[in-house]
Amino acid sequence: MSFLAILAGIWGGFGVTVKVTLISLAYGIPFALVLGILQYSAAGWWRAPITAVIEFWRSSPVVILLFVFYYALPLAGLTLGAMTVGTLVLGLNIGGYGSQSVRAALQALDRGQFEAGMAMGLTRIQTLTLVELPQALKAMIPNFVNLLIQLVKGTALVSLLTLADMTYKAKEIAQVTFDPASAYVGLLLSYFVICYPLTILGRQLERRFGAGMESSRV
Amino acid sequence: MFDFAFMLSTMPAIFKAMGTTIWVALVCSAGAAMLGFAFEILRRSGKILGGAMRFLIDFIRSTPILVQIYFLYFVLPQYGVTLPALVVGVFALSLYYSGYLAEVFKAGIDSIPRGQFEAAQSLGLGAWDITFRVVLPQMLRAVAAPMGNYFVSLLKATPYLAVISVPEMLGAALDIGSQTFRYPEPMIAVGLIFLALALLIAQAVRWFELRLLASNKR
Repeated sequence: MSFLAILAGIWGGFGVTVKVTLISLAYGIPFALVLGILQYSAAGWWRAPITAVIEFWRSSPVVILLFVFYYALPLAGLTLGAMTVGTLVLGLNIGGYGSQSVRAALQALDRGQFEAGMAMGLTRIQTLTLVELPQALKAMIPNFVNLLIQLVKGTALVSLLTLADMTYKAKEIAQVTFDPASAYVGLLLSYFVICYPLTILGRQLERRFGAGMESSRV
Repeated sequence: MFDFAFMLSTMPAIFKAMGTTIWVALVCSAGAAMLGFAFEILRRSGKILGGAMRFLIDFIRSTPILVQIYFLYFVLPQYGVTLPALVVGVFALSLYYSGYLAEVFKAGIDSIPRGQFEAAQSLGLGAWDITFRVVLPQMLRAVAAPMGNYFVSLLKATPYLAVISVPEMLGAALDIGSQTFRYPEPMIAVGLIFLALALLIAQAVRWFELRLLASNKR
């Protein structure tokens, strides 16, 4: 197999990689926003269960979460496909990280913004959506781009659940051709081509909005 | 049905593998810190070398750890380098996180006042002394917190090594699963242990961070 044919074979899995990324985002972004806002605005003992949910999703290793949900959900009578389990776990894991960017960005706002909103007679919800969130969004964006890179790279894991993404295709090719060097070099290059522009974008946004040292955990 | 007694019976084997997990995480943390610092210093020296290092760091950060592990594990033997899975795994994790730590160190070194370099130079210190006796100690203070977060992240990445059958905790759980044909219980057991471990170490990092902040104020 020529290197070009190998690359073509790998990119045969690009559709699945994109699909997994997009569905995970569809789970992850709402999860991050809702839990981040809840953790920011919850007072007293209400904070504890919210923090517990967030910590569960972001402090457990994503590989372990994937295997646990893949193998253990059927015990609870829920038999979900690999695509559903994979995207749900990847999405909520990245969403757990994202919720911390949301909360941190909201907390970093001047308290006066909130007070001014309330003093103008806006409701708590209006203050949040019209005053606080639009400003906080700017601070979240660099982190969200970094998390997106993290997610795209994380999709390689669904190959372990036998979904035919780029990594799965490359593994197949490596086994058929007995030429793992070409297959995995091709695969590394393929991910690099996808993620490098995002890495550059993330760095530029970080410089512009000045996130610097607090760049997101992996 | 979920068999609680069976789950408990899998615990001893998983706890035994915890030794490998912790040991690997510690060695990789040290390896990643040293490699990352070397990369960052090299990135700052000379146009060609600096450019090469910049590319290497971005390449590491823009490709999935899973693929890097496959690459090193399956491709190195083709070039006559046959290493045990554990050695390849430790190297792969160290290399991956060195890319992230280099970025953290960059921000740390940038935060050192320019006068420190000028003072060191005017005192006649050589490059070696400036790097290790002026830059390193001051940088460490600035980067301790983000570096700690990456160490936690590294701990959570150790189960990736199960794909090349390094006998860490996930590997042990998968072994039990394939011997008993029951995956859910060992998976849940390893999930719980990992969550506890990650939270504990994250807490330790936070405590260390607060102490450091306190001593910086003094």
